[in-house]
Amino acid sequence: MNRREYKSSDYPLPYVIENVNDWPIARLSNDKESFVEEVKARVREKITARFNTSKALREELAKVLYQERIRLTGKPWKADPPDEAKFWSSIKSKLIKMEQLDSTSTITETELLEEIIDRYANEIVGDFNPRAFGFARAILPQFFGRVLAAAPGKWFKTFAGNVRTIHEKIPITGDVEKIRHLSTKGTVVVVPTHFSNMDSIMVGWLLNEMGLPAFTYGAGLNLFSIGLLSFFMSRLGAYKLDRRKKNAIYLETLKLYSTVALQRGAHSIFFPGGTRSRSGQLESKLKLGLLGTAIEAQKLHFKRFSEETAPKLFVVPCVINYHFVLEAQGLINDYLAETGKEKFFRENDEYSTSFKLVRFIYKFLSASSSLSVSFGDVMDVLGNKVDEEGESHNHLGQKIHVKNYFMTNGELKDDEQRDAEYTKILGERIVENYHRYNVVLTSHLVCFTVFELLKKKYAGYDLFTLLRTPANEILLPYAEVTEKVNELKERLKVLNEQKEVQISPELRWNVDKIIDHGMRNINLYHTASPLTKEGDFIGTEDLKLLYYYHNRLEGYGLEKLI
Amino acid sequence: MKTRPVGVIGAGSFGAAIANLLAENGPVLLYERNKEIAAQMARDRKVRGFDLHANIQIAESMEQVASLCYLIFPAVPSQYFKSMIIDFSPYLRADHIMIHTTKGLHCDFDMDTADAKTLRLKDIKTMSELILQETGIVRVGSIAGPNLALELMEKQPAATVVASRFDEVIREGVAALKSDRLQVYGTRDILGIELTGVLKNYVALAAGAMSGLGYGENAKALLVTRGMAEMIYIGHALGADKRSFLGMAGIGDLIATCSSPKSRNFTVGYRIAKGEKLSDILASLGEVAEGVRTVKIAKLIVDHEGISAPLLQTIYKVLYEDLTVERSVKMLMRYPVSDDAEYLDL
Repeated sequence: MNRREYKSSDYPLPYVIENVNDWPIARLSNDKESFVEEVKARVREKITARFNTSKALREELAKVLYQERIRLTGKPWKADPPDEAKFWSSIKSKLIKMEQLDSTSTITETELLEEIIDRYANEIVGDFNPRAFGFARAILPQFFGRVLAAAPGKWFKTFAGNVRTIHEKIPITGDVEKIRHLSTKGTVVVVPTHFSNMDSIMVGWLLNEMGLPAFTYGAGLNLFSIGLLSFFMSRLGAYKLDRRKKNAIYLETLKLYSTVALQRGAHSIFFPGGTRSRSGQLESKLKLGLLGTAIEAQKLHFKRFSEETAPKLFVVPCVINYHFVLEAQGLINDYLAETGKEKFFRENDEYSTSFKLVRFIYKFLSASSSLSVSFGDVMDVLGNKVDEEGESHNHLGQKIHVKNYFMTNGELKDDEQRDAEYTKILGERIVENYHRYNVVLTSHLVCFTVFELLKKKYAGYDLFTLLRTPANEILLPYAEVTEKVNELKERLKVLNEQKEVQISPELRWNVDKIIDHGMRNINLYHTASPLTKEGDFIGTEDLKLLYYYHNRLEGYGLEKLI
Repeated sequence: MKTRPVGVIGAGSFGAAIANLLAENGPVLLYERNKEIAAQMARDRKVRGFDLHANIQIAESMEQVASLCYLIFPAVPSQYFKSMIIDFSPYLRADHIMIHTTKGLHCDFDMDTADAKTLRLKDIKTMSELILQETGIVRVGSIAGPNLALELMEKQPAATVVASRFDEVIREGVAALKSDRLQVYGTRDILGIELTGVLKNYVALAAGAMSGLGYGENAKALLVTRGMAEMIYIGHALGADKRSFLGMAGIGDLIATCSSPKSRNFTVGYRIAKGEKLSDILASLGEVAEGVRTVKIAKLIVDHEGISAPLLQTIYKVLYEDLTVERSVKMLMRYPVSDDAEYLDL
C-alpha cells in the first residue's frame, strides 16, 4: 500500500466509511437494547462468580448500598437523576427485609443485583444519533468559524475561508493513513494524554477530520451538567462515567460496557491517565481499568473466532499539546494541595457557564498554532507495533501472532492475573510513546527554562517556599534566559534526532523569536501572565502557572543543562 | 492431549540435575550444544557420571526444542547466556514459557573499564531481562535456591523457588518440578530472586576466605548474617523485595553455598586466604568463578548508587588491590555497628 502524507489543506479527509449508518457506533446504537442486555448478563455472571454464595453477595450488596448512601449525603450533581434517593432507599428496604429471619420476602440477592446493574447500565449507556451527528458536523465548523471571524481585525472576513483556517490550525502528525486503513480492518482504540476537559471534544473532532467513523468514549458525568455539551455528547457516542462510584458492581458494569462495545467493533477513546494531569506533567502512571478491556475484548475475539478471522484491536497513543490549558490554575492548585497525599480529586466545574466555554474556544482559536496533536505507534493490545496491514511485529521485528499471548500449553486460557500484567506492559508502551511523540512547543520550552533558572537562583528554597515568593520580586536577566533557551533548544534537536521527542517547527527559529512566540501564546489566555518581559528582564505574574507549564518537559533530563 | 515434553537447554551439572528432576514428572527434551557430548549422552544414557532418566530424550536442535516444548528451562552459565538466547530467539514465540536457572548478571559494557559514575543501571541486566530483550517471550521466570547440583543428582531432599510476575509461570514451574524430594516455593519478586542468587556469590567467596584463614563457625555465622544484610541493602536499592533475601533463595542458598567447600566461589576465597594470587587460581580453575565477576559488577552498582557495602568493598580490595585477607578482617571488625537486624526496617 502506498503511504500517503496529508497536508493541512487536505482536511477534512473523506470518510473511510461513507454511510454514517454503517459506522460501528451507529450499529451499536441501533442494537442498543441487545447491547445493554449483553452487558447486564455478563456483569451478573462476573459478580455472581466472584461472590458465589448468597451470603457473600448480600454482603457485597450491603457494601454498595452503604457507599451509595454516603455519596448521596454529598451535594448532588446537576446530571444526577432526580430519583437517586428513592431508588437506593428502595434497595435498602428490600435488603433489610431479606435479612429478617422470618422474612416473607420473595426477592433474591440475584434479583436485587440485577436491579442495580440495570440502573448502572442504563445510566452509563451512550447513544449515537446520525442526525445529531450530521447537525453537529454542519454547525460546528461554522461555529468555530464565527468565533474565529470575531477575532480582532478579522471580523470582516466572515465567509467560507474561515472554515479552512480552522483545519489549518491543527497540525496533525503521525501515520494518519495507516490509522484510517486499519480502522476498516479492526477496532481502533485511541489513548490520548489528558490535560484539559477540551481533550475529548478536540480528539473527537480531529478523528472526524481524519475521516474516521465516530468514536465512543467515557465522559465524566460532571460534563453532562452543561446543557449544550450534554446535548451533543449524549448523542455523539459518549457514555457516562461517574468517578464518585467506586463500588465493584459499578466498575464491573463500566468495564463490561467498554469490553462489549469493543467486541462489537466500536472504535473507542480511553484517557488512560484517568483524570486530567494535575501537575502538567505527561502521564507516567496509567489507570489500567479501561485499558484492560481492550485486552479482554481481543482475547474474547480469539475465543469466538478462528485466528485468521478474529478481528483485531489497534491501540494508538495520542499526545495533545496546548500552549495553554484552560484549567491550568485549578489543576496546579489541586496538585500542590495534594502533593504527597493520595486523595480522590474533586472534579472542578470550569465550564460552569457557556460563556467561559465560548471564551476559551475564542482564545484558543485566535492563538497562532495553539495546538498540536501527534499520533504514536499503532500497536496491538500487547504494545507490539503493527504494520500497514495490521500484522504485529515484536520489538525484534519478528512477525508474531497475538493469540499466542493467551495460549498456555497449546490452549487458550483465561487468567486475570496474566492479563493484568499484560495491561501493565501495554501501559508502559503507551507512556514511552507519550514521551517520544510529545511535541515541544515554544511556550513549554520558555516556561521550563525560566522556572529551572529560578530553581537554581533560589537553590536554598524548597518548591513550596519558591512558589510562595512574591511574583513581583522575581526577575531574570533576559540575556541569561536566551542563553539557556538556546542551549536547551539545541539539546531538544538532538533528542529529536534520536527520536526521543518531537519538536514544533517554531523551535527551529532563532531564540528571540522563540521566546516571543512562546510568551505571546501562553499569555493569551491567562489573566495573570506566567511570563512577562520588562525591559531587559523576564518576570512572571503567576509562579504556579509557570511551574505547571514547566512540568511538561520533565523527564528528559533537560534540567542538567541549567 | 499428549503431554508435551519440557525443554532443558544445557547439559552442564545444573542442567543435567534439573533435567533429571523434571523427568520424574514427564518427558524431557535436553539440548546440549556440544554435538559430541550430546551423541555420547544419547548412546550411554549417562550424564556427568549419573544415569540419565528414562524420560529424557536428547534434542537434535534448539529449533526442535522450541517446536515441541511450551515450557523451557535454560541452564547455561551467564557468560554464554546472551549468545545462547540470541541463537534460540528465532524459534521462540509468545506462547512459550521460559524459566531460567542462571545465577548471574549481564553487562552491556566492558566491566573492567566501566566508570561507576557514568554507567547506566539499565545496561546491567538480569537473565530474565535478557530473555525479554532478545526474544518474543513475555512469560519469563527464574528459579533459585539451595540447589547444589551434585546433591540434587544424588536425589537428596531439597527446595527451590520459582519466581515470575506471572502466577501462571509459577504454577507451571511448580507443577513441572515438584516431587517427593523437591519442595517448590513461589514468588512474584523475580528481581529479588535473581539478585539474591547473584549477590550470594561474593559472600560465598568471603566464606571460603574465612575458612582459608582457619576460622571456625562463629566467624562464618557473622559473615553470613551481615553478608545477607548487605545483599538486602543492595537489592532494596535496586527495587527488590527484602523478603526474597530472607527466603529459600536468599538465606537458604547462602547457607548452602557458604558451607560447601566444593563450590567454585568458596574455593577461590579459600586459596586467596592461603596466599595464592587470583590470576593463578583462575588459571588453574579453568573457568571463571561467578563470584569474581559478581564482585566487579556489584561494586559498580554500589558505587553508582552510593550504597554502603563494607564487605563487598573489602573483598574487592583483596581481589584487585592487594589487600591481605588478615588486614581485611581487621578492617571489617572495626567497622562501626549499631542495631541488630536493622535491615528488617527497610
